Amino acid sequence: MSRSARLLAGALAAAALTVSACSGSSSESRGSGEPVSGGSLTWAVETEPTTLNPQLNGQNRTHLILRNAYESLLYRDSDGGYVPWLADSYEVSSDARQFTFTLREDVTFSDGEPLTAAAVKVNFDHLNDPTYDENGAGQGPLAHLEEVVVIDERTVRFDLVDSFAPFLDYASNAFLISPSSYEEDSISAGGSQVHGTGPFVISDVASGQEVTFERRDDYDWAPANAGHQGPAYLDSVTYRFLPESSVRIGALTSEQVDVIEGIPGIDSATLSDNDEVTVARSSLIGAPWSIYFNTIFGPTQDESVRKAFVAAVDVDTILDSIYQGERTRAWSSLNASETQFYQPALEGSFGNDPDLANELLDAAGWSGRDDEGFRTNTAGERLTITLFQGASYVFDGRDTVLQAVQAQVKDVAGIDFDVQQVDDGTWAEHYVANDYGALDNAIIEPGSASLQWHWLPKELGGAVNFSNIDEDQVTTWLTQGWSTPDVATRAAIYQDLQTHVVAERAYVLPLVESEAQVATRDHVHGFRFRPYYNDPESAYDIWLDPAS
Amino acid sequence: MTHLLAPAARGRRSRVAGRVAARLGSALLVVWLASTLAFFAVHAAPGDIVRVLIGTGPDTPEVRAAVSARWGLDQSLGQQYIEFLRRLLSGDLGESFVLRRPVTDVIGDEILPTVQLAGAASALALLAATAISVATAGRRLRRRVAGSVELTLVSVPDFWLGLMLLFLFSFTLPWFPVAGASGASSLVLPAIALGAPIAGVLSQLMRQGLEEALDQPFATTVRARGVSDLRLRLGHGLRHAALPVVNLGGWIFASLLGGAVIVEQVFGRPGLGRLILSAVQGRDVPLVVGIALMSSIAYVACNTLADLVSWWIDPRLRNPVPA
Repeated sequence: MSRSARLLAGALAAAALTVSACSGSSSESRGSGEPVSGGSLTWAVETEPTTLNPQLNGQNRTHLILRNAYESLLYRDSDGGYVPWLADSYEVSSDARQFTFTLREDVTFSDGEPLTAAAVKVNFDHLNDPTYDENGAGQGPLAHLEEVVVIDERTVRFDLVDSFAPFLDYASNAFLISPSSYEEDSISAGGSQVHGTGPFVISDVASGQEVTFERRDDYDWAPANAGHQGPAYLDSVTYRFLPESSVRIGALTSEQVDVIEGIPGIDSATLSDNDEVTVARSSLIGAPWSIYFNTIFGPTQDESVRKAFVAAVDVDTILDSIYQGERTRAWSSLNASETQFYQPALEGSFGNDPDLANELLDAAGWSGRDDEGFRTNTAGERLTITLFQGASYVFDGRDTVLQAVQAQVKDVAGIDFDVQQVDDGTWAEHYVANDYGALDNAIIEPGSASLQWHWLPKELGGAVNFSNIDEDQVTTWLTQGWSTPDVATRAAIYQDLQTHVVAERAYVLPLVESEAQVATRDHVHGFRFRPYYNDPESAYDIWLDPAS
Repeated sequence: MTHLLAPAARGRRSRVAGRVAARLGSALLVVWLASTLAFFAVHAAPGDIVRVLIGTGPDTPEVRAAVSARWGLDQSLGQQYIEFLRRLLSGDLGESFVLRRPVTDVIGDEILPTVQLAGAASALALLAATAISVATAGRRLRRRVAGSVELTLVSVPDFWLGLMLLFLFSFTLPWFPVAGASGASSLVLPAIALGAPIAGVLSQLMRQGLEEALDQPFATTVRARGVSDLRLRLGHGLRHAALPVVNLGGWIFASLLGGAVIVEQVFGRPGLGRLILSAVQGRDVPLVVGIALMSSIAYVACNTLADLVSWWIDPRLRNPVPA
């Protein structure tokens, strides 16, 4: 596909997203005519950023706030393709070791400094400096980076030590800040002294309460598939931190805020009946929320036990009863919105097969029963699989879902699925000691990174390899995948990988697609999710009815 | 005891000086113990701090070394403690692991909203408890009604009370804003949510004190002089009823701080309560220790104040009868 055709496709997809976001509405939008400038918006969010420096902030869920002020080299289209943004164009060498970006000419940071190749180099040199970012420097994609080379004022090249195609995801998506910001005392905490190129600037920070952005009038470099070009419509936007979901919903329905983010499946119904509110949901990229079985500890070392567990669970029924259709079942170790790499053949291919579950367990030697009805082996040990759930990862009814799974595998197959909610420190202890039967997890990262994080051996970068997989075949697939810039070849490899880890080996039981939910009042227009990533976009395209 | 033999004035002065010195010494001891305890408790809590700081990122030896070095966790616990004390003496509480800002700045930013909330809640609790106890002491029907209301207030979780208040007086009736710390109107609902359970306890206590006072011979004397019942209760009875309340100063302080954790979360208010929660969850050692230090100072101040008030209320404490 040529660049312009790809851009057009991206723009169309973005438009379609906007439309589908609105289609959940039961009422006709008022004033859906021409966008108008002006007004201020209050948006209640669940999570307060720990730092407003976008480069040091690892909380994906707060990036919808930070994107108002900070931008990156490339944007994405909904197919996962790349769209010019702060870079006009890019080039990847055939061995995926050199990535060259040509920058737009007219871009300035909000402190007036122009965006130059040298500024980009300063940014990446900091990102790879452990005294600046001790968690990220030298890790993941940056482990492959040899040098950032300034070719001329507008051209910058990344030279890698080896082939690593996903570096494009990373480099094109990293937030850029003005080089002088690194001299500020507040660089770690972030804020108005840390300058980006975005359509808004941070004007006021009230920690624990809210952060306010004001429009930047000279902004004129939105990606082609954004909802519009030129400065943002809103004069200002305030993000208010309301950690309780019922309070966010009450604030929205009582017209105290205009937009809310994060609506638990259990609470969705309250809002879908409200005529003045539009609820939009979107499937995120990355790996769905899943149960990862430990393959080097306890009964789940046995493939039959893992397959029996998977067969014993009727995921659809559980999700229906808990979320009443407000969540989507996951089938693979990638979310379905990863259209490039997702393996659709897995859909409907496993689960809800009690006979199979019991056959497998009988054959695997778990044929006895104790007085509580749980299966035992010949040594009289109970078939117990313990899952530790870290306290800060219990949200959106995840504890309820796991309790339902617990009840089901007991009834159907006599498995003692012991779900324990623990504080994060205790969780980390079990993680390090490796004495767990299973752990749950979801990550929101581009597909290739999600797969690497979960399935590479830990020492090669498998940061959340909860199943403890160290399998040559899997590692080979992943290495092949990242050495190949060609998307179709990578897709075939990644699909084989998904079939292997989900269906053939049952290392993982996918449960729920990760998704974002946003509800807007009817005087708010132009809200959209970010193409490809599908998380809520900044307030750039949002406009309000003049009356409001 | 030599000072008892000395002339009265000098004796009183040295007694006061001695008391102040003892009070200061014990205050320092409490503050030091509290911060030391907090320091070791966060380190002793389950899980590896470095692991928590790494979060979901890759946990490689290089990252470990970088993270440990960045926050001084590569030193032994003893060294870290000595370093902590050394900095404490120069007024430096270190930098928050998670928020990446100096702890003194973070606490400085968040302390005012909590002080406002706690002040409003305790004022409200005291006023309500006084009014209820004066109106109900010694009156059978009224005290039965008040008793069950108080029991409900004491038993209701702050969390639920806060949500109910929001639902009624912010979402349904648009009287008060849902969140924030701007203006007095945003303080009303959180102060009620935080103060109501305390009011429940205090009014029970004060009623009991009042009833005991009203049964004493002096009450009969006062009545006999023709003083009205209300003036008797307000002018004489309350003084007796107030003592147990003042002695509960420490408990009230603890309830306020503990309740603030929940109330600030529900109402989306900035403040120390919310800060404590995230600091403990994130194993943010400098911040946890800093807050513990601040709280112990406030606690000591609170108790000192309570002692002073007791002195003022009860003359018997001012002129102890030599044994």
